[in-house]
Amino acid sequence: MNRKKTALSVAAAGTATGVVGLVLIASPAGANEPPPALPGISAEALVESVLSKDHIPALSGAVEFQQNIGLPIPGLPASSAEGDAIAHVYANGDGAGRISIDQGQSERTVVHNNGTTWVWNSANRSVTKYANTDSDTEDKGTPEQLADPAGTAREVVGLMQRDSTLTVDGTARVAGRPVYQLVLTPKPTERTLLREIRVSVDSETRLPLRLDVLANGQADPAVRVGFTEFKPGPQDPALFTFTPPAGAKVTDGKDAKTHGFDEKNVESLLGGLDFKTVGEGWDTVLTGKFPAQLLSQGLPTGNGRGGETPGALIKQFAKEVTGPFGTGYAISTHVGTALITTDGRIAVGAVPQQVLVDALGQK
Amino acid sequence: MTAMTVGAEVGAPVRRAPLLRLFRSELRMILRRPRNIIGIGLLGLVPVVAGIGISIAASGSSSSDGDSVDGLAALVDGNGMLLPIFALVLALNMLLPLTGAMLAADALAGESAHGTLRGLLLAPVGRGRLLAVKAMGVATVVLLSIVLMAVTGLVTGLLLLGGDGMLSSSGTQLPFVDGLGRIGLTIVLLTVQIWALAAVALAVSAYTEHPLIVIVCSLGLLIVSGVLSAIPALDWLDPVLIISSWESIGEVVRDPLDWAPLGEGVLRAVCYMVIGISIAYGRMLSRDG
Repeated sequence: MNRKKTALSVAAAGTATGVVGLVLIASPAGANEPPPALPGISAEALVESVLSKDHIPALSGAVEFQQNIGLPIPGLPASSAEGDAIAHVYANGDGAGRISIDQGQSERTVVHNNGTTWVWNSANRSVTKYANTDSDTEDKGTPEQLADPAGTAREVVGLMQRDSTLTVDGTARVAGRPVYQLVLTPKPTERTLLREIRVSVDSETRLPLRLDVLANGQADPAVRVGFTEFKPGPQDPALFTFTPPAGAKVTDGKDAKTHGFDEKNVESLLGGLDFKTVGEGWDTVLTGKFPAQLLSQGLPTGNGRGGETPGALIKQFAKEVTGPFGTGYAISTHVGTALITTDGRIAVGAVPQQVLVDALGQK
Repeated sequence: MTAMTVGAEVGAPVRRAPLLRLFRSELRMILRRPRNIIGIGLLGLVPVVAGIGISIAASGSSSSDGDSVDGLAALVDGNGMLLPIFALVLALNMLLPLTGAMLAADALAGESAHGTLRGLLLAPVGRGRLLAVKAMGVATVVLLSIVLMAVTGLVTGLLLLGGDGMLSSSGTQLPFVDGLGRIGLTIVLLTVQIWALAAVALAVSAYTEHPLIVIVCSLGLLIVSGVLSAIPALDWLDPVLIISSWESIGEVVRDPLDWAPLGEGVLRAVCYMVIGISIAYGRMLSRDG
């Protein structure tokens, strides 16, 4: 009897230990910690401190991406499971960087250093080399802007405050680091599907660590891009060099043809779209024109055969609507709506469908 | 009474020898079973077959884009050091869990079925030590099979596919020694995961006298875990499923290595081992002769 008791308690204790361990692994670190106490800061000062960072410091991190916009978007990476990284980023603080993107079975690595960018794709073991690209300047802003971060910040904040409320909504932890939460909320008069945009700014490096886009009527962010791991500090210089491995196909970026689409075709198509914006602030709508026969034209596919027509493709996930604009297809997601009319007009915005209809009406 | 206690304490260091002897005899017994030898031998053939398949596929498609094989397999062509990792990750889905479950089923349930467990329970060997010997036997043979697969894979890979060092999936060329390190890491990670499953199987094994039930339960656990992890609404359950870190083992071919998911996988496996072994131990203690 006594032995039975021991046996039971051993089994129970062991199982309990194991289960507790599993649950501990499952719960993200710091989830139940109170938000860190940080000195208060005004929204304007926070924006200024973010803008005053003229370069990305040396860091390594893992990035997660989650989307729940209610529509599968081709080309967009599938959202990673909670807390799982889809990409790893490294920067040496001197303009060189490395990104490894996990694509399930294969991996893409982008190494940028000294004006040369290497793109490695493990699926077909190809290397594409781009010389003197300026792809890394996109988040640096123009030099004049950077010269006076305080002025720019005032300008940016002023611009934002026309249509939105900008607040610092307390603190939180992202990737285990204390962050300020900068929240951009549309003014009540704005006709938008979005509830707020939340940027988590690292309290120490003043880098944005996470971006959440929250839509109306959704508790979870519709889109979340952010670090799950973030470690500032010097990186191994070997990370920022890339030597094409033996047996890899190396192509020059200039000669490289994009898959499926001919670049020139796309360019002329974009040129013909005649984009313009209607409205301002959160209910900005982008309208454009495109040749109507495009809807019935076969899509060029990788193997040269004509695929489904875009029109048929759209019908699969769009709702047919009629209105003063004629007939068209509306594609609604949690964060935005797109309206494509059969006579070749298109309107896109982070707004409800009615706003798009109004925008199409304004000529 | 006192004399006995003293005697036992004096005898304590000597006790190790029998444990080792028991373990050796257990190992001998496992490795003498024809089905085990055949099973392990077949496992060793898996990388060879995979290597031949990949080299045929690669030579057949050399004229076209070479896209005929995709994923990790595409990288293995001309990159022989990756073959053992590829084959091991392939075998992790079914073959290795099956091996672990089979060994665990033989360990206790198999003995029960033959009526030999009764003799072992009556023998002057502590039940804890009996379980330890059984568990160590299973663990060792699992490790042995995985190492065998890695070795045949490495030899096949170097002979058939060649390659200088190891090409990581991040596009960097790792030197030979680093490549060996990655293979070693794969062996360790896989072994720990299979040990976790085998520990759960051992717990089932302690409760039943039908080895088949053990195998059915272990594979059922895998299949149910797979189904649960595929249901988006049950995403919150993912981190506690036994298979949830198995996929991340493929990340050993990355450069630089991301240790976080690998370490998490090991911790998860350890948790399952603690659960499995303690339930098995509880059952062994309470079992009547």
